Amino acid sequence: MKFDKRKDINPKYLLLTLTIICILFFIMSFVARDQVAAIKNFTNKLMAPLQQGINEIGLWTDSKIENLNTIEELNQENAELKEQIEAYQTDIAMYQNQLAELETLQELYALDELYPDYNKTAANVFAKDSSSWFSVFYIDKGTEDGMFVGANVMCGDGLAGIIVECYDEYSKVRAVIDDSSKISAKILPSNALCTVEGNLNQYQEGCLAVTNIDKDAKVNIGDKVVTSNISDRYHSGLTIGYVSDISYDSNNLTKTAYITLTVDFTNIETVLIITDEKFSIYN
Amino acid sequence: MRRVITLGLLIIINFILQSTVFGFHNISSITPNLMLILTMSFGLMRGRKEGLLVGFFCGFLADCMFSTVLGPYMFVYMIIGYTNGFFHKNYIIEDVLLPLIVIIVDELVFNTIIYIIFFFLNNHLNFGDYLTDIILPETLSTTLLTIIVYKFYVFVNKRLKRKAEGKDII
Repeated sequence: MKFDKRKDINPKYLLLTLTIICILFFIMSFVARDQVAAIKNFTNKLMAPLQQGINEIGLWTDSKIENLNTIEELNQENAELKEQIEAYQTDIAMYQNQLAELETLQELYALDELYPDYNKTAANVFAKDSSSWFSVFYIDKGTEDGMFVGANVMCGDGLAGIIVECYDEYSKVRAVIDDSSKISAKILPSNALCTVEGNLNQYQEGCLAVTNIDKDAKVNIGDKVVTSNISDRYHSGLTIGYVSDISYDSNNLTKTAYITLTVDFTNIETVLIITDEKFSIYN
Repeated sequence: MRRVITLGLLIIINFILQSTVFGFHNISSITPNLMLILTMSFGLMRGRKEGLLVGFFCGFLADCMFSTVLGPYMFVYMIIGYTNGFFHKNYIIEDVLLPLIVIIVDELVFNTIIYIIFFFLNNHLNFGDYLTDIILPETLSTTLLTIIVYKFYVFVNKRLKRKAEGKDII
């Protein structure tokens, strides 16, 4: 009826075999990194175009629904002018699209002027991690477009994350709010060094913790937190957020601040990637 | 053969939907675990062997895309598919309560294991916060979705069974 060839296999032995395969894969991930990366790359090459396609359909329906809503409102307001509106509908849709594009471009351009030192390229987000645990997303540019592991990713007017895995046509970006993300930063204008730690729980409450600030450092609410120059992975001076709360630690040596992020992670479509490699003694 | 192709398609569709449509451009949102529903459904409807295989391939895709090492998701999905297969003898087509109870337990177990592997061992010890912020909302959304999706899988399974039986008679 099904799996005819394997009909006689006892599920127990199948479980045992597949468990061994799992363990082999696990060991291989550490021993033979390149081969495992090749397996991943192959599978994801099949999946990424599908995901991008679905994403485009999603965006398309989204824009269509938005258009419908605006049209409905207009109809209600101008019941007498229906015919005229119908004539202009296509124009409105076109202008809306152009306006949205203009706004995005203006945003990107404004950002461009803020950080003039670095070379950047734009990319689109097409998928996110399937579980609720990790804040990881995927962009449609890979090694073929000059991406590399450790490239800083920005969105809007602040730091969004870092590329942690890079494949031929796409890359995996870990957001700053991910639990495993730790960024060496400094608080302006006092230049106090600190560490920005990603934390899912805190992000859901709307802020992130900044730890290891010296007790005597002058930190005020509203101060800007930027990446520090001693970080070996992040370029210096990228905005992360603004201080919204400060508290002393129980050890009486350091204090912890809470920051509001500049990047809105609930709506990320286009990101900028810094294509300059950070110079460090590890490279 | 028809069954293998259908299952393969279902796995791929679920994987893609889970990584794109659900949590659309929201990086830190709660996503219902579609692949777990698939594994659970076929484990329950078809027994240990099929639950095991479906779980294995779901986990393989999840590992390839989202994990730095291959293995952990594969193993967790596989074990869940296998254990769900034990409930196959209690399976009745009209029953809705059993899959719901099973998916709730599955979700809690699955997320607790993920917490232990990736967070507890990484010195994030406040399990209570993760429980209320991630595990429970995800369990709720997955359970609600199960009510709809499970019916669809029962339908698909019935069709596949009828086709296969028809073939046997001919």
